[in-house]
Amino acid sequence: MASMRNLILMAAVLAVLLIVPPFLGLGWQNALVNILIASLFALAFNLLSGQAGLLSFGHAAYFGMGAFATLHLMLAVEDGLGFPTPLLPLAGALAGLVVGLVAGYFSTMRSGVYFALVTLAFAELFHSLTPHLQGLFGGESGISSMRMPWQGIIFGSVLEVYYLTLGWVMLSILVLWAYTRTPFGRLTLAIRDNEQRVRFLGYNAHTAKMVIFAISAMFTGVAGALQAISNETANYALFGSQISAQVVLQTFVGGATIFFGPVVGAVSFTLFAYLVSDLTRSWLFYQGLIFVLVMLYAPAGIGGVVQHHMRSLRRADWTGLAKPYALAALGALLVGSAVIYLTETVAVLFGEEYSVNLRNAAGAYPGYHLFGLSWSPVSPLTWLVPLVLAGVGAVLLFKVRGTIAAKWEAMGRPETESTKAPDAAKLKGGAA
Amino acid sequence: MEFAIISTLNGVTYGLLLFMVSAGLTLIFGMMGVLNFAHASFYMLGAYVAYAVSSIFGFWAGLIVAPIVVGLTGMVVERYLLRRVHAHGHAHELLLTFGLAMIIEEMIKLFFGDFPVNYQMPDYLRFSAFSVYGTDYPFFRLFIGATAVVMFALLWGLLTRTRTGIVVRAAERLPSMAEALGHNIPIVFMCVFGAGAALAGLAGAVAGAFYPTNPNMGLELGVIVFVVVVVGGLGSLKGSLLASLIIGLFSSFAVGLDWSVASILDLVGLGGWAHSIGGLLTLELSSVSATIPFALMLIVLLVRPAGLMGERN
Repeated sequence: MASMRNLILMAAVLAVLLIVPPFLGLGWQNALVNILIASLFALAFNLLSGQAGLLSFGHAAYFGMGAFATLHLMLAVEDGLGFPTPLLPLAGALAGLVVGLVAGYFSTMRSGVYFALVTLAFAELFHSLTPHLQGLFGGESGISSMRMPWQGIIFGSVLEVYYLTLGWVMLSILVLWAYTRTPFGRLTLAIRDNEQRVRFLGYNAHTAKMVIFAISAMFTGVAGALQAISNETANYALFGSQISAQVVLQTFVGGATIFFGPVVGAVSFTLFAYLVSDLTRSWLFYQGLIFVLVMLYAPAGIGGVVQHHMRSLRRADWTGLAKPYALAALGALLVGSAVIYLTETVAVLFGEEYSVNLRNAAGAYPGYHLFGLSWSPVSPLTWLVPLVLAGVGAVLLFKVRGTIAAKWEAMGRPETESTKAPDAAKLKGGAA
Repeated sequence: MEFAIISTLNGVTYGLLLFMVSAGLTLIFGMMGVLNFAHASFYMLGAYVAYAVSSIFGFWAGLIVAPIVVGLTGMVVERYLLRRVHAHGHAHELLLTFGLAMIIEEMIKLFFGDFPVNYQMPDYLRFSAFSVYGTDYPFFRLFIGATAVVMFALLWGLLTRTRTGIVVRAAERLPSMAEALGHNIPIVFMCVFGAGAALAGLAGAVAGAFYPTNPNMGLELGVIVFVVVVVGGLGSLKGSLLASLIIGLFSSFAVGLDWSVASILDLVGLGGWAHSIGGLLTLELSSVSATIPFALMLIVLLVRPAGLMGERN
């Protein structure tokens, strides 16, 4: 039943992704390409971090390698090599696989925090070395190429790139999902849960981890390749810690324990960046805030929360929960608006424009405009608004929290639910 | 000779600065097993707090207030944030500090703007201590170094010579046993975290007055501090000092040297071949000076993960 429902849901999503984009504007088409790439990147990353419990802080290395390998192949195609353009991501896959095998061989010699540090070191090594390698990585400016036409398709428009990306991402997701169904996919989970036992059963845990690492790097390479095809350029910044950080954020906000969790994270963060970065310069601050809040209150991520509710869909007392949930949402809204209000106020009051106004006003504190209203920094109302919002919201949240917990407690826990964090047991910080 | 002396002096002071930041990080890791990604942000926070305070109350007030504010921030982080996710395992603690690093950086940008601020040492500290080969050597570099040395001596004395130090070391080694003996381990953890953060804050306050103070300073130093802590041995204070000095000296020497693999091969007559290959072989030491620390970190992690001075586990 459940799998049937999932299948229908996925078919619907795929249909929307196939049919809708031609009717969208250029900006949205571009955003969709980025969302698809981020989703694949996060899924590939999660194969290692969520499923195998090996937290990598340097996945930018394989993303960048995939991008550069693809660009080199594109340059060769420009020079007359008869390689079909739609198959370009194969170069990224190969580069990711090869670099992933080497890096994976060494990284998986360590576990826990030490593993994370080795991956970090690899990425930083590439990031600091590549600007100096003119031939391979084009120095600081990087390398650029052009998408060449193939069989009448010219790959000139964003839409063509979108469909190419969609095809590759869907294929990769299918393979990654099928992977979890194979015996090796089960072994991956076993390594996360109890590596010692896996070894005791006669498996070579190091080889297995190395292969998992390489597969993860390979799909990361495909994501990098798609990025290179879309942007037609790449430079050493692709190896930067920002890229590695972003994928960690997306995956864990989405939920590392659930297969589609990283996709949820990637979609929401990319959309968030696309929509909010135009509105405010503090969007990175909000992004960090969301991440920390999820880590604190929903350690299994958004996907984990959704899954928890889906599993109890039939047996939960929804009518009883509706009211406390609505109150909680209201409370969160109030606190959220207080935070946004304060952040934007600070951004204005400490901004350059205001400091110029302040100097011109000679001693007085001039008013400012925010959210379509004008405010004065010395008026008590300005500071009362967030105080009241936050106060009321906090009281609401605090009161309703107990009610919700009690209601869930009364319903009992679903049998199949695993509350285990993905790599809680693994990262005990041993150099074994 | 001139190059050697100047580089040694600069390297030692830079190394001591690295040590100030990494001391807290290594203490925290040794005790709680938490790899604190926000540690370099504490360093940056220290510089900015000192800047804000010193612009009103003067340089020395900033120097005193910054470590206190940052230390208190650290204690709040440990008490109300880290302890909450502790049950979910080390990965979540690590991810939390990672998110905190982002928040601190963005908050700094919110208040002070995404550009360097004009945080300067007072004019009466702006003199040359001595001159070597005609070059004046700034006193403030020595001041940075001296602060670190005093700090190391105090920390070392505190940890090895006092009762508090014994409790802290016991809490590090066997927390549950120390707790069974009646010591309040959660408080010890909170204080160690706060102290570590305060040290980073002090380093920021001192170094920010000499080096540029900008929202990227945490990120720039952050990774290199990880290198120091790993190479020295996670949890080892002496190891951190040694590794800081090695990395400091190395980076100050490397920027002035144009050695490459090809120039070494020249000595055995293979230089021409190496130059024809190019790529990695002709890279000069000065241009890979940022790379070598990571290579060193990688080698240490793979060959001897306990680091130079750490204990094997």
